[in-house]
Amino acid sequence: MSAVIERTEVRQEHAEPKGRGFGWYGMVFFLASEAVFFANLIASYLYLRVRAGSAWPHHVGYTEIILPAINTLILLSSSFPMHFAARGIGRGDRKALTRGLILTVILGSIFLAGQAYEYTHSPFNPSTDIFGSVFFTLTGFHGAHVTFGVLFLLVCWLRSLNGSFSKDSHFAINAVEMYWHFVDAVWIVLFTVLYVFSLPGI
Amino acid sequence: MAVGSVATQGRTVQQSWTRTGIGSWVTTTDHKKIGVMYIYTAFFFFLFGGVEALLVRTQLAVPNNHFLTPEQYDQVFTMHATIMIFLFVMPIWTGFGNYLVPLMIGARDMAFPRLNALGYWLFLAGGIVLSASFLFNAAPNAGWFSYAPLTEATPGCLTQQIAAQGAQAAAANAATSAAQGLQGCFSPGQNPDFWIVGINLLGIASLTGAINFVVTILRMRAPGMTINRMPLFTWMMMVTSFLLIFALPSLTVASALLLFDRHLGTHFYQASAGGDPLLWQHLFWSFGHPEVYILILPAFGIISEVLPVFSGKPIFGYTFIAWSGVAIGFLSFTVWAHHMFAVGLPPIAQAFFASSTTLIAIPTAVKIFNWVATTYYGRIRFNVAMLFGLGFVAMFLIGGLNGAALAVVPFDYQVTDTYFVVAHIHYVLFGGSVMALFAGMYYWFPKFSGRMLNEGLGQAQFWLYLIGLNLAFFPMHILGLLGMPRRQFTYPSGLGWDTLNLISTIGAFTLAFGTLLFVINFFWTMTKPRTASDDPWDAFTLEWATTSPPPPENFKTVPVVRSRRPLYDKKHPEDPDWRHEH
Repeated sequence: MSAVIERTEVRQEHAEPKGRGFGWYGMVFFLASEAVFFANLIASYLYLRVRAGSAWPHHVGYTEIILPAINTLILLSSSFPMHFAARGIGRGDRKALTRGLILTVILGSIFLAGQAYEYTHSPFNPSTDIFGSVFFTLTGFHGAHVTFGVLFLLVCWLRSLNGSFSKDSHFAINAVEMYWHFVDAVWIVLFTVLYVFSLPGI
Repeated sequence: MAVGSVATQGRTVQQSWTRTGIGSWVTTTDHKKIGVMYIYTAFFFFLFGGVEALLVRTQLAVPNNHFLTPEQYDQVFTMHATIMIFLFVMPIWTGFGNYLVPLMIGARDMAFPRLNALGYWLFLAGGIVLSASFLFNAAPNAGWFSYAPLTEATPGCLTQQIAAQGAQAAAANAATSAAQGLQGCFSPGQNPDFWIVGINLLGIASLTGAINFVVTILRMRAPGMTINRMPLFTWMMMVTSFLLIFALPSLTVASALLLFDRHLGTHFYQASAGGDPLLWQHLFWSFGHPEVYILILPAFGIISEVLPVFSGKPIFGYTFIAWSGVAIGFLSFTVWAHHMFAVGLPPIAQAFFASSTTLIAIPTAVKIFNWVATTYYGRIRFNVAMLFGLGFVAMFLIGGLNGAALAVVPFDYQVTDTYFVVAHIHYVLFGGSVMALFAGMYYWFPKFSGRMLNEGLGQAQFWLYLIGLNLAFFPMHILGLLGMPRRQFTYPSGLGWDTLNLISTIGAFTLAFGTLLFVINFFWTMTKPRTASDDPWDAFTLEWATTSPPPPENFKTVPVVRSRRPLYDKKHPEDPDWRHEH
């Protein structure tokens, strides 16, 4: 049996090559697939819009865009505390990690609350017309991703309170950071194509 | 870390390795056990889908047949295709890849062993959801590509339909149904819902597997195994995994939008409300065409392992085989609309998709030439694995040629949705994927189980397969040219289709008999002791450098690789390959 143990140790030495860990690569390919998922959603929307031509219904005016614009700023600014949290634990600074995570959770939750307000006060719904279908499906899928991200951040925050992360062992923080920045980037595209492209005169 | 805790860790590892019984399978994260579970489950679904094929062929054996009702026929042909594609071919490649890729690259396991286990259990869940639909008499029935608006039903239509079931006003019911048909009330039953849920579970399973393969292959190769020294099966599994990562999201989006149309009142595929049914076709086929390469690229990999070993030569044109696989992968994303020529695309789009489809024949032909050249002047051993390998090359060539014919737009207009298309898909999937599967099965069975499959029964199976598949699928070319549409549950006599259909049915039963021989061969072999040697075929790659079956840790020492044929080098120290590679 001792021979077996020795072999395991030999394998583990060779298991992870130098450079980024397996998890980082796994996240990259997972997010690549997610990116294609949103690309397909946006392409479907643009396809339907081009096919509809002048029959495409518009619902976004210059007053309706104010709330989502503020919301966009909130979500984008949440990337900063996320970044500082990850930078912090990279230095071994657990306090920076805990503070950064909870601030990101708060900003993400404000974004979700804003989206909930927008949904409940919307003059149209998913079955009103094709714009309603597109609008609620695209923002809904994104909102679901933000919700998952907030939960992911909350778990990381609770774990950080227990001191689960250290300078050398904090892959979950890197993963949630990648995921959060990705969800942010998707929103920039969605805001542009769904809101800005729907303004009168554009 | 204290010495004691290392010993404890070692004991835990040792216990998990030596555990036996059902618990060891349910809790396992060992790539070999997961691979075996994938292969067993997928093979079960092969038999299940095969029985459905026999039902279809029995129904079509003679004209005006009423062996199945039209409703049953719709469910059976849809499930035959869905099972064969999503529950047999895709997972059996994941199974082969799981078992072989870590062994071939000299690794201990996959990069994410627990994710690997999750993938298998999600696959099983998807399989159960899809199969359970039969129990509710609600098996998917709109064809494996579930075209909208045929699969559409608005939420209002569903509730009214359910309410109307108890009501007596049958005439009123029919009138409302007809009116709702305009709004997309084509499939009020739950059949498409089973399809959507099952397919998405399988999609997540495939995605986890694909990410796992890519990271494993990119990051866990043994020292010295550069990307240009990887076995070609590993190459093809890597390309397949990239295709899955980038193609599956289209299917997820397509089916999610369909689910929302059916249950949340959106209008994505409803032309009357500003949607577009063609959106489904674009989304589905932008998944669906990479998908057909997902089904065939691992087969290319298997053939590229089997042919050189039984020809006693290195593969001819390794670099071309590897990179033509990559080229196929890229091109497969540019050809999807050749499934849609008949829907009325603009001429410029037709020209583009016809050209790209013709273009993809080039890297495929490169592979065929390389395989043929590999056998040229080889010391060929006609073992069963080699017979299936050669059979693959011949049958896949036919499937490639009739596929290239379908790229010609005017010809495609003529045979769209006829049995010509059915002939094509079966030559590439049965003549291609299934022949390669058995080439790989006879080749690696000693490694999987420590036992050699019976060669005599295997030879009989091979000839039954070769004859059976040509009997079953060649007449379909002619049926298609004569205009027999696919997916019709019966046909009148006197159209010249009767004899051809009967021949095709005889072929299907010949294939079933061949499959039965394999099942007998398997059970008979499994009763025998484990006598297979580590390297029974005098092979070249690392999986044969360890015992049959391999120990839990795969290799006693980490193998060091200096060429494309590391085991050949070890067996021939007087003239190793690396002396000739620069």
